[in-house]
Amino acid sequence: MSSVIWYLYEFARKSWAEKFANARTDQEIMETPSRFRDFPQVRKEYCIACGACTAACPAPMAIKLVRTSDSAHEEGITYPIINTRGCIRCGFCAEVCPTDPKTLLCGENHLIREKFTILPVDKMFVIDDYLCIRCKKCIKTCSEIAGAISEVDKKPVIDQSKCIGCGECIKNCPVKGAIKGIFIENVEEQKAIINMVVDALEARIEADQDKIMELEPEEIYKIDFPTQELVDEARKIIPNDELIRDSIEKVTDRLKMRIVTWDDEKCTNCRLCVGECPSGAITYDEEKGVQRNPDKCLRCSICYQTCPFGVAGFYVARFLLTETALEDGVIKITVKPSQLPIGVD
Amino acid sequence: MLDSLKDIIRKSSIHACLVSTGGCNGCDIEVVALLSPRYDLEQYGIYFHNNPREADVILIAGAVTEQWREKLQRIYAKAPEPKVVVAIGNCPLSGDVFNQEGSSVYAPVSDFIPVDAEVSGCPPRPSEILAAILAVGPDAIAAKGRLAKGDQKAEASEEAEMNQKAEASQKEGEEKV
Repeated sequence: MSSVIWYLYEFARKSWAEKFANARTDQEIMETPSRFRDFPQVRKEYCIACGACTAACPAPMAIKLVRTSDSAHEEGITYPIINTRGCIRCGFCAEVCPTDPKTLLCGENHLIREKFTILPVDKMFVIDDYLCIRCKKCIKTCSEIAGAISEVDKKPVIDQSKCIGCGECIKNCPVKGAIKGIFIENVEEQKAIINMVVDALEARIEADQDKIMELEPEEIYKIDFPTQELVDEARKIIPNDELIRDSIEKVTDRLKMRIVTWDDEKCTNCRLCVGECPSGAITYDEEKGVQRNPDKCLRCSICYQTCPFGVAGFYVARFLLTETALEDGVIKITVKPSQLPIGVD
Repeated sequence: MLDSLKDIIRKSSIHACLVSTGGCNGCDIEVVALLSPRYDLEQYGIYFHNNPREADVILIAGAVTEQWREKLQRIYAKAPEPKVVVAIGNCPLSGDVFNQEGSSVYAPVSDFIPVDAEVSGCPPRPSEILAAILAVGPDAIAAKGRLAKGDQKAEASEEAEMNQKAEASQKEGEEKV
């Protein structure tokens, strides 16, 4: 009841009547708030014509670098111009602008300092915190060159805006892989090389499948795989030996290949595995019995753990690239039976 | 009865029609913000009809896509003379981020229909859209002889001036009325 009275009272108030008679939007609402990020402002005098703003701009017509003509006593200056008909006011240009003070002002974005170098280098150097032994040799080396590595929280950290990509830190690092030079260019080519190497290694292991299936538990099967053919093939993709070596090393250092073998002779068509297979790679046929399609196989090892007759075998292969020249390098392959427990739980 | 009363009153309103010709919808949402109580478009005598046959002002938002090319001209033809077109946002002006190499947008809109006022921004602020409509709308309805009171136009342009003050310097150059 009281709420109804309050409700009626509201209508009786003078301020309500005034607002009702003159319903208008507050002027304040119409005004642009100070936090609004408007079109970027250009301060020509600071521009160094690096083109970072045009590269960062997501709209095709928004930003353009122009150059004034040379006069008798002075060279023309280069500066960006903003086309307000194309600009989406994202502020990326102000964010990436490397000059100090910034050439472009946009909202609060020009207060952001970029975290990466804009130097045209194809490698980015990072320190792997897990492998770093904090010997600080890299800090010492870099302090004489660029001073990009400093100690933060007792860990060496590379300041990407100062790094000049010389690679001296890697040469002086005592731990392999603690500092990594990551190729940030040619990503597609790197992918192609990695795929090619993995496929070749897999084919090589499959060729020896008969011998692998006879392995005793704890026994290790070793294959030497020369890299000559891989390197020739990779050079057709991209003729950059450093990048090829880096890509092959990525495979041999990190890859742990799972191998599933299938012994049809042991199969009793009990079909326990058919229902367990998560990808439908194992099927049952009245005439052919239980069939496995290796192309669909996820190598999850569920069939190996399910089968009571040892039809499926599960092995793990690891790789090591010998430290020699790229052409006569050898990838050492070791195949080992898996230690996973067998039997349905 | 109420409808006929509304019709009499709306006779002197600026009837607007929003045509979204294939953008990200951001500008349409800004127009929806105009309809909300916060900005309340109707207090300025603008009525959203979304019917080109009754429109005084056609609002275009979007970078004309393949399917819109002919339809846009048909919609424009349907609007009664004199008609006014306001391009909202950067899409109808330049195609904005959609106008990449190999894309199927046919911006600017002015290639297809004459544009009277442009509001740049991605998206523009609702107050900027409102200012643009009020800058060109009253002339259009005045030309149709629909102004109920003599002072309506003055009032409307006063409002426009008030809103334009905030972004006056930026706006003036863009409107090629």
